[in-house]
Parts: sequence; C-alpha cells; structure tokens
Amino acid sequence: MADERVPEPRELRPDEADAVERFERYLDALLADGRPSPEDVADVDEAEMARTAAELSAAAVPESLEPDAAFVEQLRLRMRQADQGIASVQVPPPVRPRPVEPEPRGRLRITRRQLLGTGLAGAAGLAAGALGASVLGVGRNAPDGTPIWDDGSGLVAGQGFWAPVASVADVPPGGAVRFSTAAFDGYVVNDAGEIRALSSVCTHMGCTLHFRPDWQDLRCPCHGASFDLKGDLANGRDRWRQTGGYRGDAHAYDVALPPLVRPKVKIEGDQVFVWTAQV
Amino acid sequence: MTAARGRFEEIYDAHVVPIYRFIYARVGNRPDAEDLTAQVFMRAVEQLDTERDEGQIVSWLYRVSQNAIADHWRAFYRLPLVGTEQVAPGWEPAAVEPSGAAAEADAPDADRSHIRVQSLLHRLPAHYARVLELRFLQRLSVAETADEMGITRGNAKVLQYRALRKAALLGEADG
Repeated sequence: MADERVPEPRELRPDEADAVERFERYLDALLADGRPSPEDVADVDEAEMARTAAELSAAAVPESLEPDAAFVEQLRLRMRQADQGIASVQVPPPVRPRPVEPEPRGRLRITRRQLLGTGLAGAAGLAAGALGASVLGVGRNAPDGTPIWDDGSGLVAGQGFWAPVASVADVPPGGAVRFSTAAFDGYVVNDAGEIRALSSVCTHMGCTLHFRPDWQDLRCPCHGASFDLKGDLANGRDRWRQTGGYRGDAHAYDVALPPLVRPKVKIEGDQVFVWTAQV
Repeated sequence: MTAARGRFEEIYDAHVVPIYRFIYARVGNRPDAEDLTAQVFMRAVEQLDTERDEGQIVSWLYRVSQNAIADHWRAFYRLPLVGTEQVAPGWEPAAVEPSGAAAEADAPDADRSHIRVQSLLHRLPAHYARVLELRFLQRLSVAETADEMGITRGNAKVLQYRALRKAALLGEADG
C-alpha cells in the first residue's frame, strides 16, 4: 500500500522524541477505549491534539456511542438512592476511627480490609459497587465458609471472587493504578510499602477520584475532597484542626465524609487480586 | 414524592442514551463518558426542577453536559476547574437555549461527527490523512500502521503526532 512516498520526518530533537512517545501513551489509552491521563498531555497544543484525537476516535467507531446497559442500570440505582437519601448525603455521618493496624513484617503487607465497607448505606457513593452490593445479602460467608466481616466500619458481605487487577510491579511505593471489574472501580495503591485497594468513587456525590502522586492522595474533581491512601478524608475540617492543615489544599474541606470503600486485597506471585462482587 | 421520583426516572430513561452519546462524541472513551454522564444526572437529582417543560429540561441537561465536558478538558489544558455547580447554579431562563437547538443535538450526533471527520481528513496532506485513517478508523496499532505505510514504527508515531497537530489546527479554524 506504500505506493505514495511518505516523506521521512526530519531528525527529531530529543525533547520532540519524548513528546511523541509520551503522547503515544495518551493515544494508546484512548484507542483502547480506556481512560487517558492528562499527565501524558504536555501543553495547550497537545491538549488540542488530544481533543481532536478523542473526537476522531469517537466518530470512527459508531457502536462505541452506545452506553453499556449495566452502566445505565447502575446509574439509575445510584440516582434513585441519591434521590431518596439526598439529606443523608449532604450530612454524612462522622468518619469513624480505624483500629490501629499491626506493624508490617515484610516489605509488602496486605490489609485485611473488607469487601464493600460502606459508611452510609451506600448512599450516592457506591457507584459501580452499588449494583453488586444491592444484590448481595448481608452476613453471608465467603466461598470457603469463613465469614468476611469488616472491622465494624459497616459492611456488605457476600459472594464474590478474586479478580486480578494489577501486577505488584505496577505499584511501587507511592504509586497507584486504576482498575475496573464488572462490579467495582478503584485504585490499587502502595502506601509506603502497604498495598491496598480503594474505591475510586468519592463518598460525597460519587464523582471519580484522581490520583495525585505529589500529594499521595485521591482527589475529587467535583468539590475538592482529598482522600489519603488509607481511604480516609485527608483535608477534612477535623483533621485540619488536629494536624494543622493539609499541604495539598489552602482550605479545609467543609463536610465530613465516610472513608472510601476498601475491598480485600491479596497478592499471589506478582499479581494483586481484589475481592470483588459477582454481578 | 413517589410521583416526583417517577417523573425523574422518566427523564432519565428518555435522555440518558442521547446524553451519553453527546458526551462520548466529545471525550472519545467509555470510562470518561460514563463518569461525566453520571455527574450530569447526579447533578440533575440535586438541581433539576422536574416540573419544567420538556424543552427546558433538555436544555438544562445539555448545558450541564457541556460544562462537564469543558471541565474534563480543563484538566488537559491545565486550567482551573470551574465546577458544574458554579456554572449551572440552577434555572437561569435567559441563558437557556431554545429547546429546538438542544434537541437537535440529540440524534444525528454520530452522523454529524462522521461527516466532520471525513471533511477533516480530506483537507490533510495525504500521508497525514492516511496515518490517521489507519490508526483511528481502522484501529491498527502503531506497528501495523507502520507496516502498512512501509515506514518505521518511530516514523509512524512522529507522523501521527504531526498529523494530529495539523488536524487540531484545521479543527480550530472550523470553530
């Protein structure tokens, strides 16, 4: 097919070569129908390119314009819950203190956190998890027969399975990667050597949190809540009073929010698995 | 209460698919399209007055969607977020578009963007149009694109980068 001669690009400066490689990461994510990161877009010119690429990509595959039926149903549930519980969403219960974890033994330690620990009965926050949670009974046992209760932070137990979501190498200390299972969207984070899974859904109104490596937090783009890598609100007023401010913010976040949902995590070989609900 | 909720779900059922398509066409990927669609309807639960007439409701939904899309891209342009709650504090009748214009955004979105893409490709130099066609329309990988065009993988990436830059400039000129 190379009947028309393609002009050879002139020699690239090293920074241009870097830009091309970096931007390729944006395109790879986009063309895989994944979520591209603003980190791979350097400036306004590239942002224009990114937008052009997004429009091209959407136009090229008309089927992709159809929403996923499961998504439509999940959002309906979320809205119904928010509609019914809008008062409780606006005044969420206070953040409960977490029991102190034993000291880590090895370099990597896995928290025995629970499947779907929900503070305020799911409310708007559960997002992708909501469907899974609503079809599960409370108080069931894990497939191996052991009860899978959380440490009292409110929970949903039920049937599920271990989904491989990342490799350990993907999450060096201080790193985080997004994952998505049929029932759950979240991050695998490495909090100074401790690998943990956190929901990517803000417990306020259900917006998707973004990882900020500089602040080691998950930031909500909607109203500015920040959650630390343990899943607790990092910039809330109470914490602000106790610790004298949050470096990532000029102001305290006004509302107390429940912690993020923390599914159980295990590591086998090089794989990180997250316990996720059957949908 | 029950009646109002029923009405709300009616609105959701009627508009969730067109709103999703509208957003997808502008952000180009499923995870972001789902997030933004969710933001629009969660905002609607808080703010939308379901007693308004259909045209005003449609206008409201598209306006909030446009704001959500704009905020999405602000992150890429490194601009401060405005936040949908500030842009769309509620009903501002003067700012609401005529319902016809908004409703038109509904259905033929896919067609219109397809035509735009074709006209864009036609105005690019042939090798630029070709690399974008292979990568975006035929969904080939960089390596496959390079093979198809008889160039190296590195050159295919560079070509694609420049083609997008040129396309973005043409697109800007279009408005």
